[in-house]
Amino acid sequence: MLDAEKLEILTESAKYDVSCSSSGSARVNRNGGLGNGSVGGICHSFTPDGRCISLLKILMSNDCVYDCEYCPNRRSADVPRARITPDEICELVINFYKRNYIEGLFLSSAVFESPDKTMELLLETVTKLRKLYNFNGYIHLKGIPHADALLVHRASKIVDRMSYNIELPSENSLKLLAPQKTKRSLLLPMKDLRDAIICDKENKVRRGRVLPAGQTTQMIIGASPETDGQILKLTQALYRNMNLRRVYYSSYIPVVQSSKLPAVGAGLLREHRLYQADWLIRFYGFDVDEIVGENQNLSPEYDPKCAWALRNMHLFPVEINTAPLATLLRVPGIGAKSAYKIIEARKFAALDYDNLVKMRVVLKRAKHFITCKGKFYGSENELQVKTSLLLAGRSEVNEQTSMFSETSVAVSALTGQL
Amino acid sequence: MKIFIVNGAESFFTAVFIAYKEKDCIITSDGDVQLSLGCEVVRVAADGEKCGRIVNAIKKYDGEALYDISLVLRSCDPLKEQTVFGYIKRLFNSRAPVKKAMNLPEVVDFNDLLYKVNGETHRLKGLLRFMECEGGALYAPYSPDNDVTDLLMQHFAERFKSERFIIHDLKRKIAGMYDGHEWFTGYAEEAEVQLSKYERGFENLWKKYYKAVNIIERPHDKQMKRSMPVRYWKFLPEKQ
Repeated sequence: MLDAEKLEILTESAKYDVSCSSSGSARVNRNGGLGNGSVGGICHSFTPDGRCISLLKILMSNDCVYDCEYCPNRRSADVPRARITPDEICELVINFYKRNYIEGLFLSSAVFESPDKTMELLLETVTKLRKLYNFNGYIHLKGIPHADALLVHRASKIVDRMSYNIELPSENSLKLLAPQKTKRSLLLPMKDLRDAIICDKENKVRRGRVLPAGQTTQMIIGASPETDGQILKLTQALYRNMNLRRVYYSSYIPVVQSSKLPAVGAGLLREHRLYQADWLIRFYGFDVDEIVGENQNLSPEYDPKCAWALRNMHLFPVEINTAPLATLLRVPGIGAKSAYKIIEARKFAALDYDNLVKMRVVLKRAKHFITCKGKFYGSENELQVKTSLLLAGRSEVNEQTSMFSETSVAVSALTGQL
Repeated sequence: MKIFIVNGAESFFTAVFIAYKEKDCIITSDGDVQLSLGCEVVRVAADGEKCGRIVNAIKKYDGEALYDISLVLRSCDPLKEQTVFGYIKRLFNSRAPVKKAMNLPEVVDFNDLLYKVNGETHRLKGLLRFMECEGGALYAPYSPDNDVTDLLMQHFAERFKSERFIIHDLKRKIAGMYDGHEWFTGYAEEAEVQLSKYERGFENLWKKYYKAVNIIERPHDKQMKRSMPVRYWKFLPEKQ
């Protein structure tokens, strides 16, 4: 059985990776093996920081040859080092999975010896897990930049999802803070994998498809000077050009002393606003240019959809019984689920305000932007609307801080490794 | 007012058949129902023909409704039969699917219960914990709000195809058993299990992992408890 101390070291080093999702793969349990995929993903536990545990998130080694400024595992850091073997990982995964502790494996590693050597061992691990241990559960594998393309391609046929972390939102910041990684070393494998996924799709490959759950990435927010506008522009490009499933943001915390890094953290509200804008781009039909200007930051007072609506008051109010889906999705406070519910329900009868309440559509913000059967329930005065939205937003901000109990210790996840 | 006491799905559909024309009545499976003055209690025995007519009518108007109804009938809500009854009446009135007619209060209530049963099933797919017994079989005791054991059996029989396992609802004294080929459920009193010699070791590793993966500088107890209500903790090794 694996040494508990090793497990602790390698988990501690891996925990700053934000990605936890186990969704997107419908892998079937073949040949009487163990495990299958669940398209919606399954959370198996929740830690006191409110995050879910879905995958066993672990590094193969935290002994890195790179020296990235922001990383707690960088070469010059004085931390305990450990490394585990492919078999040790497999045995742990199988035994945790059988007890229903986890949905699968999230395997990553510091770069030891060389990128190729690291990638080789990662590949050996996931191959063993699938072939020897007959494991059909979810596997998320971190790609190692500069590793041989053939190794990456072979791994992509075995695992469900891969990710290359962009880490910093511009090439300049990457040069300054992570000099051993280049934009090319991150984007090139991402592009190759995208092409392989598209190719499989076009050829209708059914068994052994490349990355059924696609690719994701992660960026650190606030360690470098980029604005929200620049970050979201990049995000949108990644979604549109790289077909990424998710972009994760992690607000910077100063765990590492360095003259090149800011001394204060970026705060969680900024991270929260970025996620809200990210959702608007993916599910609500917004273009980044509507949300925020290139050199601007998102407003801390209002959520991005609310801020957009306040800039476009001439488009409101909209009638709940006739507005098309795309318009309903742009009403502050109405989420995708509520919008679909309204569209379906109004086919049966015209909806009034009480219907919406009973359907549990949140109206705190929405009431200022809609009419129900022609009747308006919000405030006519624009200034009043702004004030009450600000108040509605305030409770949201409050909840944000209570999320992390004290603002002074409010620090967020920082990406730990590549 | 008549009160129809039912026992099981077939008896429930029979009661729906009988009660359909009644102006004011209650269908319930709750034996301890509070009786008020002037109530007439009717115990409904299952009647294959009456039940069949209701079931066929439901199928005719909405092919998916029967499955939804079977889920809602697993709910722990004391008014579940009454809620389903209201939903069936709406379905028969409209002679077409009403699931999305959220303007109707009966449909909203029905969907609420459906959401809760589906929600708990999904949650337990993650929160159920198995222990390895001597001989390799897996044993998972739990006490869910709703009667979802067979739903979980389906999920885990697919996932743990070559394992043998038992899911034991201690509250309802129901256990689902899978022998590596087929599964079935039945009555089961509390069981005594002999754990395998590795069990404590892996449980400890899991506890260590749970502790290590937490970011201590970012506490958010409320969120944890919202996602993982305290009533489920009893069976989670990481919360002991």
